[in-house]
Amino acid sequence: MKDQQSYFEKADFQSDLPKQFLIMFVGIVLVLFEVGLAQWPFFYGASPFLSLIFMYFILIYHDELMPIITVFMMGLIADLLMSDILGGRATSMMLLSYAMRMGILRLQQSEFMDLWLGFAVSCAAVTLFQLIVFSSINLAVPALRPLMFQVGFTLVLFPIGFVMMFSIQRLLQTLKVVR
Amino acid sequence: MRASDKIKVRQRRFAHVALILISFSLMFVGKADLVVLRDARMGSNDFLAPVIDFVSAPIRGVETMADGIRTVASLRAENVRLQAENDLLQRWRRRAEILESENQQLRSVTGTVSAENRRLITARAVTAPGGSFMHTVLVAIGDEEGVAAGDPVITSNGLVGLLYEVGRAYARVLMISDINARIPVMLASSSWPGLTMGRNSDYLELAFLPAEAQPAIGELVLTSGHGGILPAGLAVGRVERVDGDYVQVRPAVDFRNLGYVSILIGGTEGVDRSDLSQDSFFTPLPVEDDKRLLEGLNASGTRQ
Repeated sequence: MKDQQSYFEKADFQSDLPKQFLIMFVGIVLVLFEVGLAQWPFFYGASPFLSLIFMYFILIYHDELMPIITVFMMGLIADLLMSDILGGRATSMMLLSYAMRMGILRLQQSEFMDLWLGFAVSCAAVTLFQLIVFSSINLAVPALRPLMFQVGFTLVLFPIGFVMMFSIQRLLQTLKVVR
Repeated sequence: MRASDKIKVRQRRFAHVALILISFSLMFVGKADLVVLRDARMGSNDFLAPVIDFVSAPIRGVETMADGIRTVASLRAENVRLQAENDLLQRWRRRAEILESENQQLRSVTGTVSAENRRLITARAVTAPGGSFMHTVLVAIGDEEGVAAGDPVITSNGLVGLLYEVGRAYARVLMISDINARIPVMLASSSWPGLTMGRNSDYLELAFLPAEAQPAIGELVLTSGHGGILPAGLAVGRVERVDGDYVQVRPAVDFRNLGYVSILIGGTEGVDRSDLSQDSFFTPLPVEDDKRLLEGLNASGTRQ
């Protein structure tokens, strides 16, 4: 009787799955864009972490739309294409997402400056994790200047990315209300 | 909380931990350089490279446009510079023709046979190094065109690196600026051998030079041909800074503008290329205090 009931449960029309797929798609496209950006001589050897800005925003305001598998896929594709330590960025991003989920309420109520500061710490932590793993596996320390440029430029781009994503979010909400 | 919700939360937590563990172990498995993993990586590159090509098309478009604007703005100055360069090159061409003819005569006298039997094939660079931890480039050429791991990659300016992963339609180049790259080289004017080491930066470090070597600022650094994989005489860079034992080399190729590269195929018959792992492939020559590595005449004709 109980088994039979499960067949007749209401269909879940409010499923997050399509949205989660969309977010995964956008995240992966951003990673590919990041790889493409390296073709500009200015970003040679250190293209900014656009995918990290995206992940940070989504995790704060729509964490239910970014399951850990999305973070894993974004990190792994970046590792594969930039041929960094396989799994290095994926692990660091997953650990970051885990840490962010623990303090999500505090982040949601924070001012922009605090969010920026939090992002600076997150960005530095992701880079530092990769640097430690790389150095311990290869027994060599890479040049630090490109790393600092990468982190610095990502921090400069953070407000622009944040405003853009807020605008897109507002637009989507307006469209929803109008419909 | 319902029992089914509790199970869902537990499953989610398990998935988190499992994925983090998988990802963490991938870092060490990846370093082990397993053939299966290498194949999987190249398979995914073959799949993703056309997508990157598509996504980065607007970026290339903007770059081309900016380049066009820059070129128009500096057209006159560029024209003057090119004319001067053309005059210089014509002088060099006449000199090269004389030297080539002299070289052929000397070869016929001494009976020397050129060991080089390589052909060139050109490919487009699909990516550029975007990360700070590895300097590699994907090029649009695969084993279908006959390239293999270990083939040297060059431009008209000099050596770019070596192919180290070859897929069906795409291959990955380990650039000489990568921290894992070790290239056997020699100083052009004194012929002293050494080894350039990448630093994941825009310069190389020249190490393992004999104590007698005195590299000069601006001196050309060429591949020595030791090991048989790389042909001798490819430009690697120029000495930029000498500070005691520390010698810094600026690569001959500007890696920031790699559009097309050429791959040298063949010419390594008899050389064992089965194991191209970095550790065993680029091991430097042992240095003994009382022995010189190379003896003979250097480029300036003096015995060393």
